[in-house]
Amino acid sequence: MSKILELENITKRYPGVLALDDVSISFEAGEIHALMGENGAGKSTLIKSVAGAIDIDNGKIIIGDKEFEHITPSDSLHSGVAVIYQEFNLIPSMSVAENIFMGEKIGGKFVADFKKMHKQAADIFAQFDVDIDTHAMVESLSTAQMQIVEIAKALSKNVKILFMDEPSATLSMTEVKYMFEIIRRLKASGVAVIYVSHRIDEVFEVCDRVSVMRDGRYIATKDVAKTTRKELVSLMVGRELVESYPARTPPKEQVVLEVQGLTGNGVSDISFQLKKGEILGLGGLVGCGRTELAKLIYGAAALESGQIFVDGTPVQIKSPYEAIKLGIGLIPEDRKREGVFVDYPLDWNVVIMCLRRIAKHGVVNQKEVNATSDKYISELQIATPSVKQIVKNLSGGNQQKVVLARVLAAQTKIIIFDEPTRGIDVGAKQEIYRLMNALTNEDISIIMISSEMEELLGMSDRIIVLHEGTQAGELIKKDFSQIAVLELASAAK
Amino acid sequence: MEKKSFNIFRVLSNNMAWVILTLIVIFFGIFSNNFFSIRNLLNILSQNAYLLVAATGLTFLMMSGEMDLSVGYTMSLVGVVGAGLMVSAGLPFWLCMIIMIALAIFISILNTFLAIHLKLQILVITIAMMTVLQGLSYIISKSKTITGFPIGFKFIGQGLVFNVFPISIVIMFIVFFIMSFVLNKTYYGRYVYALGGNKESARLAGINIKKMRYSIAVIVGFFVGLADIMLISRLGSTQSVIGPGTEFSIITGIFLGGVSIRGGEGKLSGVFAGILCIALLSNGMQLANINIYYQYVVRGIIMISAIGFDVFQLNRRNALKKIKKA
Repeated sequence: MSKILELENITKRYPGVLALDDVSISFEAGEIHALMGENGAGKSTLIKSVAGAIDIDNGKIIIGDKEFEHITPSDSLHSGVAVIYQEFNLIPSMSVAENIFMGEKIGGKFVADFKKMHKQAADIFAQFDVDIDTHAMVESLSTAQMQIVEIAKALSKNVKILFMDEPSATLSMTEVKYMFEIIRRLKASGVAVIYVSHRIDEVFEVCDRVSVMRDGRYIATKDVAKTTRKELVSLMVGRELVESYPARTPPKEQVVLEVQGLTGNGVSDISFQLKKGEILGLGGLVGCGRTELAKLIYGAAALESGQIFVDGTPVQIKSPYEAIKLGIGLIPEDRKREGVFVDYPLDWNVVIMCLRRIAKHGVVNQKEVNATSDKYISELQIATPSVKQIVKNLSGGNQQKVVLARVLAAQTKIIIFDEPTRGIDVGAKQEIYRLMNALTNEDISIIMISSEMEELLGMSDRIIVLHEGTQAGELIKKDFSQIAVLELASAAK
Repeated sequence: MEKKSFNIFRVLSNNMAWVILTLIVIFFGIFSNNFFSIRNLLNILSQNAYLLVAATGLTFLMMSGEMDLSVGYTMSLVGVVGAGLMVSAGLPFWLCMIIMIALAIFISILNTFLAIHLKLQILVITIAMMTVLQGLSYIISKSKTITGFPIGFKFIGQGLVFNVFPISIVIMFIVFFIMSFVLNKTYYGRYVYALGGNKESARLAGINIKKMRYSIAVIVGFFVGLADIMLISRLGSTQSVIGPGTEFSIITGIFLGGVSIRGGEGKLSGVFAGILCIALLSNGMQLANINIYYQYVVRGIIMISAIGFDVFQLNRRNALKKIKKA
């Protein structure tokens, strides 16, 4: 085995944050090397540094026998580095073949030879027994197919070092297996695959070595065969972590929300009751309609039929505005796009839903704004230097608390959490759980959508499982088990 | 694997401009006596050849996801500068033509330069720039009409090849075929698409974005300058009011031709049909003696419809994709 990529003392500073702090790691040809760490550990920044997408402040990148202090995207590409980002870098309105060979000249000096291009693309797919039409527009592909196009793009450029940033995040189980097969073949042909993932199981399944980062620093590299799950987690968080869920107080009998036969936005005939102080879990596979159901209740999507009752009274919810007035709040799954206003300060974010209440004659009173923000900063323990901090500079966990503060400031009694801990690191998760528990103790009711099985089982008082837009079943606490949820979710009875 | 089925609706909606053009032609064919005479057709083409030439340049820009509103005003300024040099200063006409094209390229590059360094869309820069250009044009022309061009210059807009084909039509077809080839067959053309499709992907694929943007600016400027020469040499005169409004016809034609407002999609052949639609419609409205103010209303409605159709198609595709996924 030979070293193919060495990073020496890489440092990258952003305003207010040291994203990479003197990081040195080396990678070998023909290995699958996992890169792990909590959110904000610096993994993505590291990848971007090597790809030349950002410029490092200090340090050296050694690829093969070439040394770089500043590397451009083109240097990186020509040295055999390829990156598959979480957000694919494909051009939706162009064909598969053109995407694969984007930036390369297939044909003459000025004129492209499309026949040859399609043939070469098909040859790459053939190597991996992939069946994708090279003439298809990328926008018509599934996520898994797009990822294969990204891999093919890397292969066409004679890749030696392939970074994959959470490749499994959006794939189904079979698709993940398929992807593993492809990267094993890459490894066999001598490529160094650097695999970033939050899923420890995957690391044990497919990787040879694993490097852990924390807070922008390199922590350790281990042979996967000689380490344990527990060791990795403690390296990541820097302490022994007990994943535990707070003890729940049983909910009250009073029903605060009832839905009957809700249909629309891709779901049909959903009926359930939510009790005061209850956490009702919504389980199911990705794409089974949980988020769609949440948007129906929140008035963000049109209801075709069915009835919603709040505190026993039938209500019409035609917009989020009406939902909030009735005391229903939503904490969306996609925090950056639908949750916080990333470029605005914290206080602005907290009061945006309750401006009417704290304004006098339509004029916003900054004192009230500060008071409200301060109240939630201390209640929710939001770690921020000031109420004026721009939200994008906060960590994922604190951003989530800002959204929660906003919903609470609007005096909502029913809160829908869509993936409450998505993209939040292990330590902050515990805090979110603690907060959810505290909220229900104050008679707030929660509907929680979660794709994390342990979280769903650990936090819920009751679980409703959806399958392809319909209600597959309901589980009460004593019947909770991973198998029971999965059976309902996959409708395997 | 999905089978490529022949879908008449899709074929028609992908070539909307040709469908509309056919309808317009049929309409005029029925209601106008000598519409189909060679003379009339050549006339319409030669009158509007400059529009297609300018639209070719702008298509490259719009394909890359940008927009330029100052095209018409650039034409005014370039026109009065060129005409002034030719008539008052008596410079040879070929030198004036080079200066005109160079000036148009300079303005276009300036727009792009400002957009890159102020990190703004070219659209925003050109909103300010159009007023600057308009002012300069009136200052230079002193609000007067300039006439008395040399024969050689007028020949470009009024001359005939083999005593039949107007030169402007020949220029138009040469431009159209060369630039279609560049857009569809060369790396450069495909990079223009890539830029409009996803700028960051293009950058990470090793495409030099800055170089691309400046080169597109040169293309825009070159064709705007050329179009201007074709226009004023055909008219035999110029003044500061001739340009403004041109950008509106061009942009409407481009949208009608199926170039997406977000960039990255469209064909030059569609633009060809789109521009002809606009040309025929304004020609028809003038012949029918429709009040100019009503014409404004109609033009605006056509533009909104063209953009609306583009958005409608995008939504339809997204909806289809959702269904396929579920």
